[in-house]
Amino acid sequence: MSARPISPLPTLCRRRFMQGTAAAGALSLLPWRLRHALAAPAPVLSGTEFALAIEPVAVTINGHAAMATGVNGQLPAPILRWREGDTLTLAVTNRLSEPSSIHWHGVRTPSPMDGVPGLSFRGIAPGETFVYRFPVHQSGTYWYHSHSMFQEQTGLYGAIVIEPKGGYAQAFDRDYVVLLSDWSFETPETIVSNLKFQSDYYNYGQRTLGSFIEDAEKKGLAATVADRLEWGKMRMSPTDILDVSGATYTYLINGQAPAANWTALFRPGERVRLRFINGSSMSIFDVRVDGLPMIVVQADGNDVQPVTVDAFRISVAETYDVIVQPKADRAYTLFVQAEDRSGYARGTLAPRPGMAAAIPSMDPRPMRSMADMGMGSMQQGSMPGMNHGSMSGMQMDHGSMSGMSGMEASPEARKLQGSVGVDNVAMMPTERLNKAGEGFPPGRRVLTYADLRALKPGNDPRPPTHEITLHLTGNMERFIWGFDGKKFSEAGPIELKRGDRVRFVLINDTMMEHPIHLHGLWSELENGHGEFRPYKHTINVKPGEKLTYLVTADAPGRWAYHCHLLYHMETGMFREVHVA
Amino acid sequence: MSIARILTLAAALAALGTEAAAQTPAATDPPAAIPGMLPGGAVQPVHDQEIFAHLFFNELEGRFIGSNSEFRWEGQGWLGTDYDKLWIKSEGTLQGNGTLDDGQHQFLYSRAITTYFDLQGGLRSDIDSRPTRNWGALGIQGLAPYFFDLELTGYASGEGHLAAKLEASYDLLLTQQLILQPQVELNVYSKADPARMVGAGFSDIDTGLRLRYEIDRKFAPYIGVVYEGKFGQTANFARRAGESTGDVRFVLGIRTWF
Amino acid sequence: MISDLYRLCAMSLMPIALIACTNSGILAADQGATPPLGVDLGGSGPVSTARAGEGNGPYPQLRSGMQMAHAGHNDAHGTGTVNSVDPAQHKINLSHQPISELGWPAMTMDFSVAAAVDLKSIKPGTRVDFTIEQQTGGMYEIKTITPLGGSR
Repeated sequence: MSARPISPLPTLCRRRFMQGTAAAGALSLLPWRLRHALAAPAPVLSGTEFALAIEPVAVTINGHAAMATGVNGQLPAPILRWREGDTLTLAVTNRLSEPSSIHWHGVRTPSPMDGVPGLSFRGIAPGETFVYRFPVHQSGTYWYHSHSMFQEQTGLYGAIVIEPKGGYAQAFDRDYVVLLSDWSFETPETIVSNLKFQSDYYNYGQRTLGSFIEDAEKKGLAATVADRLEWGKMRMSPTDILDVSGATYTYLINGQAPAANWTALFRPGERVRLRFINGSSMSIFDVRVDGLPMIVVQADGNDVQPVTVDAFRISVAETYDVIVQPKADRAYTLFVQAEDRSGYARGTLAPRPGMAAAIPSMDPRPMRSMADMGMGSMQQGSMPGMNHGSMSGMQMDHGSMSGMSGMEASPEARKLQGSVGVDNVAMMPTERLNKAGEGFPPGRRVLTYADLRALKPGNDPRPPTHEITLHLTGNMERFIWGFDGKKFSEAGPIELKRGDRVRFVLINDTMMEHPIHLHGLWSELENGHGEFRPYKHTINVKPGEKLTYLVTADAPGRWAYHCHLLYHMETGMFREVHVA
Repeated sequence: MSIARILTLAAALAALGTEAAAQTPAATDPPAAIPGMLPGGAVQPVHDQEIFAHLFFNELEGRFIGSNSEFRWEGQGWLGTDYDKLWIKSEGTLQGNGTLDDGQHQFLYSRAITTYFDLQGGLRSDIDSRPTRNWGALGIQGLAPYFFDLELTGYASGEGHLAAKLEASYDLLLTQQLILQPQVELNVYSKADPARMVGAGFSDIDTGLRLRYEIDRKFAPYIGVVYEGKFGQTANFARRAGESTGDVRFVLGIRTWF
Repeated sequence: MISDLYRLCAMSLMPIALIACTNSGILAADQGATPPLGVDLGGSGPVSTARAGEGNGPYPQLRSGMQMAHAGHNDAHGTGTVNSVDPAQHKINLSHQPISELGWPAMTMDFSVAAAVDLKSIKPGTRVDFTIEQQTGGMYEIKTITPLGGSR
């Protein structure tokens, strides 16, 4: 949304939208260039022909002026509203002085339309207009962003809402896009450069003499000394949660800082759909609506069996659609905390504009454990935050979810140790899809990947014919990231044949989460639901975790495959998956 | 036709024309002129071999004892990729009377060899108010277990002199921004060099405890105490010249990098 | 002299440090202004359990072809109409019919053309048969191109 407050738009009746209004029809007679010139900056663009101009845009965030990379003069970029079954034409003009691109995240397009410079096309040169043209065969919430350098950090991100052909599976009365992002007044090049010199540059939650004394009082001097020595020997810090934190970031909801109080209106008793998109570059968020439970109905654009939670952790590039039903005539705070508790984004659900509810205090900062280092699991029994309430009556296949056991590190994993690109190898990676992660207070129902069960069975019943195992590796000290100890420039593509049914096995040897995104193909996460495994485009792998997913290589092309933490991707955590 | 219709038609035709023009390949710049495009036209999806450069002053301080003061700097800079860097190091002490003491400057090629250590090799030049000496240098630099910053370098001069230097420091966080840093630098030489007042064996130690406040990660003023000590033959040279062999000084300085 | 200079620097650092330390704080939002409001995309309309569409499905053009054995070579071929030719860059802009081997719908795109191909006989408006192959850089290149008939 642009920084100017907008007047409340009349709510569009969905039926009328689906049929197309007369005004839109008349406008479509004019060529797209002229239409674009005539139209005022619009926060929502719909239809089948779009003109998007990538250009520098002046923004004000928290009272400070800055230049962002916007689309059609807006930050975030306009919401694109498509219809399943349409064929779209999107003319993207690059008005920057450097090459640009737009990638339609989660939307399956022919590979030349996927928007990755070097794999799909040459990129969009300054002054050039590239016309994307592709049919849409899916529905749900997705997003789009630049795939060139760090433009995604400086503002080139926006939401995509694709209306389903057959209607929605759950009813709702209001519908809002909640696009979460992180904004820095430092340039992204400076951020990477800082991290290359001092990788804990943005970590202001480190262990100090003060925390040593506190721990010694709680656990005893000997245990505390032993703990410090254990981490010190590895040259690791359990306080490494996010590489870039609120020390430089202002967290935004739809481009608005917390003080601006982005507000979504509702009438008490209405069911409100919130389309959460994590469009940030480096920030994993813990989301909740203070005082309201949320019913998760879609993940990564695909329907899931509705599951009621109090909070969820959304990693970079993921989307979750939830329905809330506020019954009281009061405001509710939309509270979005950075995982390391270094800041938060905040909005309000309210019956009238100008209302605000109390902003809760932040949850305790999580700490990494030895399980995150891949030393196996420390705890038995159920973890706080595990949501079993909605599972009653559903069969859960526990066969592939051992929960506690791990595998000994393989010989090829051990070979990685000591090399320049690797600072740790998980000796006993654990399968823990049923764990929400650290940092949630006990008693809060938090979504886990094990809770995601697709509404309909998958389309490819074949078992995989082979497995591809990849280690997620990195060297925190040097800020180098990669797969199997190698950067993109040091490795070749992953080759698949058209029609292959393959299992990807990911082992996270690092102590950071990595949201791994495969372009062009669906990743079917094996989370114990058998043929109702969820279809995802971005899968967050926890530190020291091992997980698997199935892929049908049904779309030919050269597809990008990478960690969606922008500075990890640009420093090497990227591969090509080539479907021949 | 009404004026309005003519104008609309003209505008529509003009727009169609520009749209058609935009779709055809434009007259091109050669590929190298477009940033991100390598010669030959290959475009990379990510750039993971970028070159970074940094300059870092660990010590930029005034050292005081009584009425006597001196100014000392110790800094490093590097330029390069994750694996290969050109590295310079420089230190020296400017005395109150204008003479430059303990000037050592190194020009090294640094190669990342393990997770935490670089192998460095190159040239060391001792340039100050005393006669200049040049050495070949070979050593390692990195982060040792328990978070000690470590530099260990060996030197060989053309005249067959050997030397070695150990530098180590540790950052103890008192708070997120207040950091106590013990630091030590130790030099050893195989042969005496009277012109430079350096004796054989362990020659000198420069060790300090500095308390810095990081206003910014890149700018931290500090106070501290340092001990400048000389041993063995080096101490003898100093005594004969009327200089002290062990000084405790109060320091005030800035730790900065960019 | 140096010590004097140093004392001066040290003393001037103190106020700078104090100023830098103070928290500027977040500027409060304008008290009277309306906060930025979300755009309501509307209600769901009638819900349905029988929902069409891909979602969790394979790419539609390939649904039937999933049991097909891999063709064994990298070339795909199609037909289309040439819109423009750039001899200097050795590229053409082509509007082509769907190419099932690649799962592409009808599109209009720029293509690089293999160096061996002579572009002199390819004029804008010509209908052509062509084969294309994906190169190591990821981009598609036309390997052979044959006019189908006179230009329209």
